Amino acid sequence: MTGGTASHSGVLKWYPRTWRDRYGDELVSLLDDTYGDQQVPLRTRLSMMKAGSTERLRWVGFVGDSVEPDRRVRGASLVVLCAWALFVVAGSGFAKYAEHWDRVTPLHDRAVPSDAFTAVQVAAFTGVVIFCVSTLVALPAFVRFIRGHGWAPIRRPLSVMLITSSIAMVATVGIVVWSHHFGSSPLNTGLWPYKAAGITWGILVVSAIAAGAGAIVAVVSRLEPSPRTSRALGILALLMAIVLVVVFAGMLTWWISLAIHAPWFFGSGIVGTAGSRAPPAMIIFGALMAVGLVLGTCGASRVVLNLGEFSPSEHG
Amino acid sequence: MARSTEPPGLRRANDPPLLILTSLAGGPKHGYALSKDIEEFAGAVLSPGALYGAITRLEERGLIEPLEETGRRRPYRITAAGSSALAEAVHEMSRVANVGSARLGLVRGILA
Repeated sequence: MTGGTASHSGVLKWYPRTWRDRYGDELVSLLDDTYGDQQVPLRTRLSMMKAGSTERLRWVGFVGDSVEPDRRVRGASLVVLCAWALFVVAGSGFAKYAEHWDRVTPLHDRAVPSDAFTAVQVAAFTGVVIFCVSTLVALPAFVRFIRGHGWAPIRRPLSVMLITSSIAMVATVGIVVWSHHFGSSPLNTGLWPYKAAGITWGILVVSAIAAGAGAIVAVVSRLEPSPRTSRALGILALLMAIVLVVVFAGMLTWWISLAIHAPWFFGSGIVGTAGSRAPPAMIIFGALMAVGLVLGTCGASRVVLNLGEFSPSEHG
Repeated sequence: MARSTEPPGLRRANDPPLLILTSLAGGPKHGYALSKDIEEFAGAVLSPGALYGAITRLEERGLIEPLEETGRRRPYRITAAGSSALAEAVHEMSRVANVGSARLGLVRGILA
């Protein structure tokens, strides 16, 4: 293998393994014929990165119709899962931000935001239940995969997930212990080391959630569950999409209601004072959830479209 | 792999699948030969990613098929379904081109 060939083979890493097995040699041969011993130009590398990523998305079933309907349903279900992961990130921030909102809201104005907040909490809990049920549904296929292929193909994403989760857990314990050591809510006193620790902790938790979602996508896309299991995962994804809609609607209702009746909550927190109706934190949480909702809706639509393509014999 | 029935990019003259089918209508070719031929007759430079993305889709749809590998190069040829899809696309485009030519007062029959 020449230096040029070695360099040209490198661009194949963007493509999924099955695609590389089928077309990899030909593509490298084309690059060799085109560029010889020269480096592949950056523009071509970027174009291949895009093309390879698209092939990966097709292989997982996120886009296109290159794979069987059951794989498409699984791919679309994973899109909904990624949307849920975004909601977990945004929802955790929202839950922290909205703490004690009722203390500064007049009693006669609490009904609507209270119902909305309860709806968010119930939907969030339901989301966790759906996630756990989905894990159980996929478990037999996972066990079969491990028996057949071992841990090697999924070791890397799982290791990243375990490491980031462990760091996030240690950081969580550390920050809880530290905050108890301080006594009363030091975050609200503006103590900068606590704020810096809080931001670091937030980044670690977001990284752990992202790594977790990435690991699940990497694992589930390799499984070969029965059509019935894929169908069940698709239906659970649809339920999850409903959960996302409820969480978003609840958060929005709570926000609008408080912006009208207790805007000071988004400002100084002192009843009767002026306050911003659109604080940066709520805009960030809302935007994250909106992106998640669009993603979840796309995934759910794809699930619905492809569930209909299961042949009757596959239902069993 | 699922055999898709979705029509590939055969609507516009510069769609990679259309360019590949047109090139293969002249005989089997491997990736590099396809790329050079397309550049020659259409003036379009397809990136390796775009070329092999289109080859993948066309093969999935049964519009082209691979031949025996020669070294690391694998030639492709157009199938009957591919010829039929290309004929339909060319007919569709020439219909529009003929209308355009007529309305512009250009010589009729050139594109017929």
